[in-house]
This record gives sequence, C-alpha cells and structure tokens, in this order.
Amino acid sequence: MRTHYEKRATKRKLKAFQEYKLSNFAASASIVLAILFGLSGYDLFERTVSIPFLVLAGIYLLFGMLQLLVSAKIRSDIIQRNTIQATTRIFGFSLIIALLTGNIFVAIAALDIIKKEKSIEYMLSIYMALTNICIILISALNLFKPYVADLFLLGMGILLAVSVLHIAAMILIGLFVKNGDVSRHLLPLAYLLILTAVTGNVFSLLLGLTLLHKIRHGNKEVLVTWVDIVRRLFRNAMAALGLLFITVLLSLSICSYFTFEYSLAVENNYSTLLLSPSLEYPFGTDDFGRCVFSRIIFGGRISLLVGILTTLIPVIIGGLLGTVSGFYGKYVDNFIMRALDILYAVPGMLLAIAIVAAFGANTTNLIIALSIGYIPTYARTMRATVLSVSNFEFIEAARACGAKDHAIIFKHIIPNSLAPIIVKATLTIGIAVISTSSLSYLGLGVEPHIPEWGNILKIGSAYLESKSYLAVYPGIAIIVMVLSFNFFGDGLRDALDPKLK
Amino acid sequence: MAYINTGRIVQEKLKTTDAMGVRYRIGRTYEKMLKNQLYKILLFISGLPINLVVAAVFFIQKRSDPFLKWREETKFRLRKEGVENQLTADIRYELTTKYIFFNKEVNESKLHAETKKLAARVFQEEVTKKVDDAMRAAGISKVTYGSTFSKLINHPLFFAVSMIPGALMYLFIYIYSKPYLKYVFDRLVMMVFVIFGVTFLVFTILYLSPLDPAANILGQTATVEQLRHFNQVYGLDQPYLVQLWNSFKGLVTFDLGKSFAGNEMVSTEIIRKLPITLQLTVISLIIAILMAIPSGLISATRQYSFFDYGFMVLVLLGLSIPDFWQGLVAILYFSIKVQWLPATFNPDNWLSVINPAIVLGTGLAASVARMTRSSTLEVIHQDYIVTAKAKGLSERKVILKHALGNALIPIVTVIGLQFGGMLGGAAVTEKVFNINGIGSYIVDKQFIPDIPGILAGVIYVAVTISIVNLIVDLLYAFLDPRIRSKISDY
Repeated sequence: MRTHYEKRATKRKLKAFQEYKLSNFAASASIVLAILFGLSGYDLFERTVSIPFLVLAGIYLLFGMLQLLVSAKIRSDIIQRNTIQATTRIFGFSLIIALLTGNIFVAIAALDIIKKEKSIEYMLSIYMALTNICIILISALNLFKPYVADLFLLGMGILLAVSVLHIAAMILIGLFVKNGDVSRHLLPLAYLLILTAVTGNVFSLLLGLTLLHKIRHGNKEVLVTWVDIVRRLFRNAMAALGLLFITVLLSLSICSYFTFEYSLAVENNYSTLLLSPSLEYPFGTDDFGRCVFSRIIFGGRISLLVGILTTLIPVIIGGLLGTVSGFYGKYVDNFIMRALDILYAVPGMLLAIAIVAAFGANTTNLIIALSIGYIPTYARTMRATVLSVSNFEFIEAARACGAKDHAIIFKHIIPNSLAPIIVKATLTIGIAVISTSSLSYLGLGVEPHIPEWGNILKIGSAYLESKSYLAVYPGIAIIVMVLSFNFFGDGLRDALDPKLK
Repeated sequence: MAYINTGRIVQEKLKTTDAMGVRYRIGRTYEKMLKNQLYKILLFISGLPINLVVAAVFFIQKRSDPFLKWREETKFRLRKEGVENQLTADIRYELTTKYIFFNKEVNESKLHAETKKLAARVFQEEVTKKVDDAMRAAGISKVTYGSTFSKLINHPLFFAVSMIPGALMYLFIYIYSKPYLKYVFDRLVMMVFVIFGVTFLVFTILYLSPLDPAANILGQTATVEQLRHFNQVYGLDQPYLVQLWNSFKGLVTFDLGKSFAGNEMVSTEIIRKLPITLQLTVISLIIAILMAIPSGLISATRQYSFFDYGFMVLVLLGLSIPDFWQGLVAILYFSIKVQWLPATFNPDNWLSVINPAIVLGTGLAASVARMTRSSTLEVIHQDYIVTAKAKGLSERKVILKHALGNALIPIVTVIGLQFGGMLGGAAVTEKVFNINGIGSYIVDKQFIPDIPGILAGVIYVAVTISIVNLIVDLLYAFLDPRIRSKISDY
C-alpha cells in the first residue's frame, strides 16, 4: 500500500515538470525514428543495405540514448531535490547540435531544458528560430543541384539575416522578459519580428503581437484570451510540433519562390530519367526526369492552398447558414436544414466526382466541388452552438436594449460560437488535403502537369515495383501534413475548451 | 354474487366505451395533428371527401357559434368599464418612458399610431382571454374545424360511412397515435424526401454541365445530324423538367435508362456492382469494429499509460493516412515483396479481400477507437460506476456489464455516420485494387460524362446510406431507453 502511494507521489512530482515530459517524448521519438531509418536502411526481404540510412539511424539512436540519459538525470534531480540542477541544464547546450541532423525533437527538448523560467515569449522564440533554421537547411539542399534559382543567393541571404535576428531575439527575450513582464525597450524588436512574418513564419507574428500587446498594456494583468490560448497550446508538445510543421510548410511555400528552381520541378529532362535518390536529387527523379524533391516542395503550396480554401469557403457559407438557421428557428431552420440534409446524404467524395464530371477537372472546380460537400457539417456544428448561445441572458439583454437582429448575430452570437467551428475546421483541413490528393490520384483533381502531391503519387504508383520511393515519399509528405493538422487541431480544442480534457 | 354482477357491468361498460373511446381518440388525435402544418395538408388530401363534409358542417355551425356572441358582449362590457382607455393610457406612458430612456425624440403622431396599434392588440388578447375563461366555466366549447370533426366522428353512423373513403386518413391517424410508428413513419418520409432531393441535386448538376457527351462519344468527326440523333435517342434534347421527371420515374421503377457508352442497361450494371462494394464495406466494417472497440476500451481503462499514448498516436496516424497511399504500400509489401496476398481483387479468392478491406477500414477503425476511448472515459467517471466499484465488483465486470452499454450509444452513431464516408471512399480503394465495384464504375463513367451511369451510381449509393442511417436511428431508438422515452413523449 505504501509503495503504491509513494509511486503515485513520485508520478505527481514528475508530472509537474514539463522538461521531464518533453525529454522523454524527444527520446522516444528519436528512437522510433532511428528504428524506422534502420528498417529503410536494411531491407529484410531483399537483404540489401543502404549506407546513408544506416548512418542516419545511428545518429538518431545516439541522440535518443543521450536524451534518455538526460531524462534519467532530470528524474533523479526531481526526486532528490525537487528542482532541476544547473549542471543538468548545461547538458542542453550540447544537445542543440542535434538540430544539424534534422532532429527537431531533441533540439526542442534541449532548448526547453536550458532555461529555468520559461515564458510564453521564450517558447515562441524557440519555435520561431527553429522554423527559420529548418527552411535554411531544406533550401541549402539546392546547393548540390546542377544550377540554382536566380534569386537563390538573395533568398538565402535574407533568410540568414532573419535567422540571425531570430536568434538575437531569442537571447534578448531570455534576458529581458522576467516573470512575464516585457521591457519597454523591446518595442522595436516586436515590430521587426512582425515584419519577418512575411516569410510565412506564424510564430514570429504571434511573438511580435504578444510583445506588442504586453508593452501597450504596460504588463498589467489584463485578461487576454488569445495570449492565454497560445500559452495553453504550447503546453502540449505535440500540438506545438504540429504547428511547427505547418509553419515550416507555409514558410517553405513562400520562400520557395526565391530559393527553389521551378523549372527543375516541371520541365522534362531526358538525361535524368528515374534516378535513384542522391544528394543532387534527394527523392530521386520521375519518368520525365523531374526532381521529385522540388516537386514535393512546390506541391505543398497547392495542397496547402486547396486544403485551406476548401475549409474556409464551407466554414463561411455553412457557418452563416447554421447561424441563420439556429437564430431564427421554425420555418427558416426547417427549410435550411432539410435542404442541407439532401447534401449530407451524398458522400463528399462522390459529390465531388459528380461535380468534376459535370464541369471538368481543374483546380477551381476541385475547390468548389470539395467545398460544397463540407457545407452541411459546418452548418450543423454552428447551428448547435448558436442554439445554445441564443438562450444566454446577454442575448436577451441585447434584445431588450433594442439591438437589431443583424447586430445581435454579428456582434454577440457569432463571436461567442466560433470556438467549435474553428476546432472542427482545423481538424478537417487534413481531410481536405487527403481528398484533394485522392481526387488528383484518380485524375479528377488538379491538372496533371501541375506538381501536386496526388499527381506525384500517381506517377510513382506506376513504378511501385522497381522505384517504390517515388510513391512512398509524397505519401509521407501528405501523412506528415495531415498528422500535423490533426495534432494541432486536438491541441487547439484542448486549449479553447479546458473543460473538454 | 354481487361482485360478479358488478364485474359484468363494468365489462359491458368497457365494451361500449371501447368503441366510443376509439372514436374519441381519433377525434383527439385529429385535432392534435391539425396543429402541424404538414400533417394538416396530409390529412386534408388523404381524406378529401370526409374533409369536404366536415368543412360544410363547420361553416354552417360557425355562424351560430356562441363564441361570437360572447365576444361582442365582453367587448362591449369592457369598453363600458373603461378598460380600453385605461390600457391606451398605460401603453402611451410606457412608450414615452422607453423613448426617453433611449434618448430618442418623441414624435407625437408616430407615438399616437404606435399606441393605437399596441393597445388594440392588447385589448383583443384581453377580450379573448376573458371569453375563453367564461366559456370554459360554462362548459361550452368554441366551434373549430377540429371540434366539428370530433363531434361528427362520435356519431357511429358517420364513422361507419366514412370508413371506406377515409381509410387512408384513418391509417395516418393511427400511425400518429402510436409514438414508435410515428417515429418510424417520420424517418421513412424523411428518407424518401432525401432520396428525391439527391436525385434532383445530382441531375441538376449534370444537366448544367457545359460538357457535351454526344461530341465526346461520337468523336470530332460526327456530323450535326448524328449529334442530333444521339441527343434524341437519349432524350437530351427535351426540356429540363421533362428530363427531371423521367429521372424521378426511373428512380421509382428502377429503370434509369441505358448508358451512353456501351449502351448497357444502367440498372443491371448497378445490381451487379453495388453488392461487390457492399460486401467489401461490410467486411472492412466488421474488421474495423473488432479491432477498434477492444483497443479503445483498454486504452480508456489505462488512461495515460504507455499503451494509451502509443495507441492515441496510432489512431491519429490511421486518421492521417490517405487510403490510396496505404493501398499502394500494402501492395508493395504484401504483394510484391513477400507475395502473401494478391495485388488485385478477385471474387473467388478470399485472400484478395483482406488488403482492400483493411485499407478501407483504417479510417473508420481510427475514429471508432477514438470515440470508444472518449465515451468510455466519460462513462467510467460517472457516479453509478463508482457505486458499482464500491460494491466490490471486479474491474472487468464493471466495464463490460455496466460501462460498455452506455458507452456504445455514441459509438453506434459514429459508425452510422462513417459508413457513408466509407462508401464514398470506396471509389479510391476500388481503383487502387482494381475492384469492379460501384465506386470505380462512377469514376470510369465520369470522363464522358455518362449522365445515366453517374446519376444512378450516386443515387443508389445515397439510397444505401439513407437506409443504413435509418436502421442505425431505429436501432438505437430501441436500444437506448432515454431515446425511447423521448419518442413516446412527442
């Protein structure tokens, strides 16, 4: 009985330290990745060995083991002294090198352990700097190519400068943000960070806005919902990682205008047909000699755009229909919901196929086709929320004050019923991405010459037997993107509604 | 002796009241149904001859309605007592204070008009209330259409005569009086409405298509004469409403014409292909449920354990994998590298169904497992589970006997909802594994576009989904006592 009690007490103690959780997570993630790399390096069925993968597996395993050691050290520190010792924290500095091998899990855990007092600003700055470094590392792979984009040097120069700024910001924030108080001197930095958000870096935008907000309000304890939500979101490592992947993808689709050569992804090159992966062509080349890696990078742009648009359009239309239906009730409600029931009875995929069949396969039609299918779901979600919100006293009060219907709807009801639909939308972007690539795979989506993940996979599937990597890598890209949206959506749901957890 | 006597009397009385009771109940139900606009129309049309008689009687009786006389009397009396003037003054005062509160200037003529309108309405309400009270006290009921019917139906003769022309109407009344039947009937009506709605929707989309199937099938070299002939044969030259009507007719008679390419009967194609898809979906549904529910339960009972975390990551992975990629990887590993399972589907080889079924079921398994975990977690923290545990029941018994039943309700809903998505997603899986089902049929037909083929394919998939949803709805209406009691209340 006593041992059971002690076990639980230790568990509770350990749970209070985010560093321990994160460190464990990083260790297991690196080891799992090491195993995956090892499996790709040594083919069980054909008994072939691929050296680069085995080396990668070895490096990941090494860092995983080191991280495991750090975990053990943190554990003993916590159990004996109830704090993490400074000597343990110094370990963090040596583990930052893991970033160079692309192991962001260990890097995040390392940056997390370095600092004792972690403000939300510090966390944001870590992710901000990481995003930019990832972009630079991915873009740097272009150096092995026969030729680079015209704007490559300019793009890389800007990225490096931004990166220096981000790291400086990280150090400055580490020094000047104490107990959540932001020094007034950081005002120019905040503006600069917001400016760097043009590279698609969501974290720098969030960080800049948070700093600005705190300085404006003189660090007073003002109840700011969104800063609070961001803080809760970053407590969940998986959600933060999901957002990191999404941001990297977003940033990459913007930066690739400068750093990636579009002709390598679309123009036929008969001297490089179906090459195996190498440093020059990291994911090999396809049957027209196009670089699959560049195609995946450019494809992310389309997938992200289509995914976000096919979520945004039905959210707006369905949300408005649901609001009207829930607010007015009776005949309006009956009419709208019955009409949407019809739409709901046809599976989204089949409806999209029918619409594309009628109007032809291209990107615009694809977006419209997918959007229509999602309208009923959002309308139902919104209607349910609006029904419950309309019964609150503040709506009655607004009406008693003589507010017009449209004012009540747009000022009071919609802002108060947005949370569920936002969460739903985040979780559905992933499904929209899958649907887009599925339709492209069937030849019903994006035009075949445009590099889109479904299109790349379609070509890869023809060479499944001999060049399976042509189909495997674009698939992994889709999975990682969808998984990131799912993790982020889950985290957002927990952050928006703590009661749900 | 006396006991037996009274018993017989009671029995006889019951017999007579039984026949009267039926008529009384019919009258009551009829009046209740009139309150719903939709049922009103339904009743009126289904029992038209009877309703005409009732309407005639109603208009004759209405003239001598005591209500009208009473109302005039009450109005006169209240006016004489000065109630109306008092009301007007009150309302005028209220409106003035309201305008002052909102800092609006008081416009005399506007205020006057508004006061008059409001006062008239309030006075009317007051009068009606007074009259209603007085009439209820006197035991006289107002003549309404419903009460006229009730009175008429209480005549045994009228009831007997109306039996034949009003059979359909009485059937509706009977259905309405039984809550379960009404629920089933409502759902059936809704289903028929949805099916026709889907036909209308898909047909309209295909009708609006700018693509020309005739030109696609006959090729660039076709003459104008040939194109016209093609359009005439398939009825494409007819106006929109005629074509829509033909589609509706085809839906009911299960004859949706011939496909443009190959000139095959669409219905026979559907009959051949729908079962293949259904078989695949049902097999993958069973596999998914068998995997998902136990693992969801274990995960919920060991919350925050290593198994739980690993399981949650696995579930999210399952939700994130595109079907076609999973299919390709499965073919790559199980068919090309180790050659355990065949790469393409073959109805005679049961091994070939395993791969597609697992691929198709992954998404469903993930969402069902997730739902199982969260609904079980919700249930096992409720008081009655704590009580069961406190009474010393074993963990196993608590979960399987007390928690699972209640946790299953949302799971059944999710399965019902996901089934539709599965039938839609089957198109992709069928294409990957080269299965000759309805999904790949629709995809093959869309390039022309072959309107009858696509229309029929989408409609019958929607019909299947509607039927499954109906079954799910009925199933848990009968399984869940809470829903049952809600049904009998409404």
